[in-house]
Amino acid sequence: MSHRAALVAGSLALALTGLTPAAARQEPGAAAGWRPFEATWSATGRRLVVAIEGGSVAAIVEISGAVVITSGEGLGRGFRGEAIGFDDGQGLGVGRAVWTDENDDRIFSRLKGEPLQTGKGLVGTITGGTGRYAGLEGEYAFTWQYVVPAEDGVIQGRSVGLKGRVRRAGPSQ
Amino acid sequence: MTGSVRLLLARGAVLALALGLWFAPVPEGLVLAAWHLFALFVGAIVAVVIGAFPILTSSVLALAAAVLSGTLAPSKAYSGFANGTILLIVVAFLVARAVVKCGLGERLGHLVVSAFGRSTLGLGYSVFLVDGVIAPAFPSNTARAGVLYPLVLSVAEAAGARPGVEGRRRLGSFLMFSGIASLTVSSALWFTAMAANPLGAEIARGYGLEIGFGSWLVASSIPTLSAMALLPFVLYKVVAPEVTATPEAPRAARQALAALGPLRTQEKVVAATFLGMVGLWASAATLGLDSTAIAFLGLGVLLAAGVLTLGDIAKEGDVLATFIWFAVLFTLSGQLNELGFMGYLGERLAGALGGLSAAVAGVVLVVAYVLLHYLFVSQTAHLLALFGVFLDVGVKLGVPVALLAFLLLFATNFFSANTPQGSSANLLFAGSGYLSQGELYRLGGLTTAFNLVLYLVVGIPWLVLVTR
Repeated sequence: MSHRAALVAGSLALALTGLTPAAARQEPGAAAGWRPFEATWSATGRRLVVAIEGGSVAAIVEISGAVVITSGEGLGRGFRGEAIGFDDGQGLGVGRAVWTDENDDRIFSRLKGEPLQTGKGLVGTITGGTGRYAGLEGEYAFTWQYVVPAEDGVIQGRSVGLKGRVRRAGPSQ
Repeated sequence: MTGSVRLLLARGAVLALALGLWFAPVPEGLVLAAWHLFALFVGAIVAVVIGAFPILTSSVLALAAAVLSGTLAPSKAYSGFANGTILLIVVAFLVARAVVKCGLGERLGHLVVSAFGRSTLGLGYSVFLVDGVIAPAFPSNTARAGVLYPLVLSVAEAAGARPGVEGRRRLGSFLMFSGIASLTVSSALWFTAMAANPLGAEIARGYGLEIGFGSWLVASSIPTLSAMALLPFVLYKVVAPEVTATPEAPRAARQALAALGPLRTQEKVVAATFLGMVGLWASAATLGLDSTAIAFLGLGVLLAAGVLTLGDIAKEGDVLATFIWFAVLFTLSGQLNELGFMGYLGERLAGALGGLSAAVAGVVLVVAYVLLHYLFVSQTAHLLALFGVFLDVGVKLGVPVALLAFLLLFATNFFSANTPQGSSANLLFAGSGYLSQGELYRLGGLTTAFNLVLYLVVGIPWLVLVTR
């Protein structure tokens, strides 16, 4: 499957499962205060697996790398992106992610979607932050362009076309 | 200026550089720990390059600073000491010692000299030839180095070269660096000669490019065979071995072989063990065997047979030093990646190329990809961190995917010579005692630059022809 076809298929799968974030359903900035952004996320980490019924494997995944903001405002130029997740072996992936910037200010998010595999997608729901990101809310979605297993359980993945939106939560919004 | 003053100045310059980077403002998008680790890593490498400290000293100082400053957690900082590939190097050193100690190495050396020993250059070509022939059977180039190193060491000794002994020292340097240079191009020649090659192919598949054994060989053949033909000559000219023509050497080697008589019992044990290891390494991927465990098995057999003794192991202090400094640099580089530094740097560099023409962008991407290997201590880690990023940017700028993918994949092999820590496969040769740290960096930089130019000049037209 080509890269483009994988992205299309991943997006289609997300849409069909109802996981498409509002950022992808609406025009950016359609609602007051929302700021759209785009990014890449390249990460390396480890996957611990256990065999389960039907020849599948469940996995715990821990990844860490660079989130580079390629367009948009309000989020700085990039973050260290860390995530820990669980793949139930039945097609469901859940996890938590923390993005940390140069001032140690953080953005927290909840991940839900598909397992960490090439062409699979996840949706992140931003649940808050610290420092300049305190009170932030938002969402993002992305598809893994590739996830490659190397030696000793090490994996490396890269996502392009990570799209989302953020806004400062508050009574006026 | 006296040597001690020069040394003090060099150390002061390294300290100033590391502190300057440490306290400089953290670039937007990087975390503090990543920036501090970068300062320590750069300080450690520059210290070696300018001769301020030996590589072991600079590595352990950087590690201590990283942990004591809280930049790295101890569990992360020491993880390299449990890395299987690094353990494989340690064991391969000891097995090579057994090959020499039992006399088999001398026999092998005389064999090679009797066939190729009419000139020093001929011996260099023999290293490339042997490596090129066995390479497709060895997905681990570190394991292949474990096979090649005892042979090169034996040839160097048979040719009269000894570490630190003037007269034929540069002859030994030439042969040892030929081993390093050979591994870079033999890995580029065959799809199955380096573990990262199939990983790169898997990433390239996402762009609709299917790379298999045959298509890789066609693409690599002309540029890599050109490199194999030219590199020994270039190194020969640069290193300038003291002895060039030895027309009498083949006959002398045959006489020496005759004097050695038939294989002795210990030689037979080592030969059988070594051949067993080679067979298992070659079939490791097929049988699902771990290369390091195979090396341990071989070492265990040699110890049990009494070919190697605990006394022999105790004498190998250089092995311990290599183990420590490489494990430290491996960890520091790996942590730079985990902390997001490598990905950030790659994305930013690649992103800055917007607006360039496809041709210029393609060349700049390949050159930048090669230069960035100064920050990596593993070819696989480099490929996993940056290959996809650079390929993606290049394709978006209009560089043909097959052309760029193959150039980056070949670069992943040939850039490994640029520093002694550029690949675990270098370490056996780098630790042989025949090459100083300065020579390793100088020859490494030169070899990498030569290969880069050659793969661009010869490789691009060839790839355009065969990938259209």
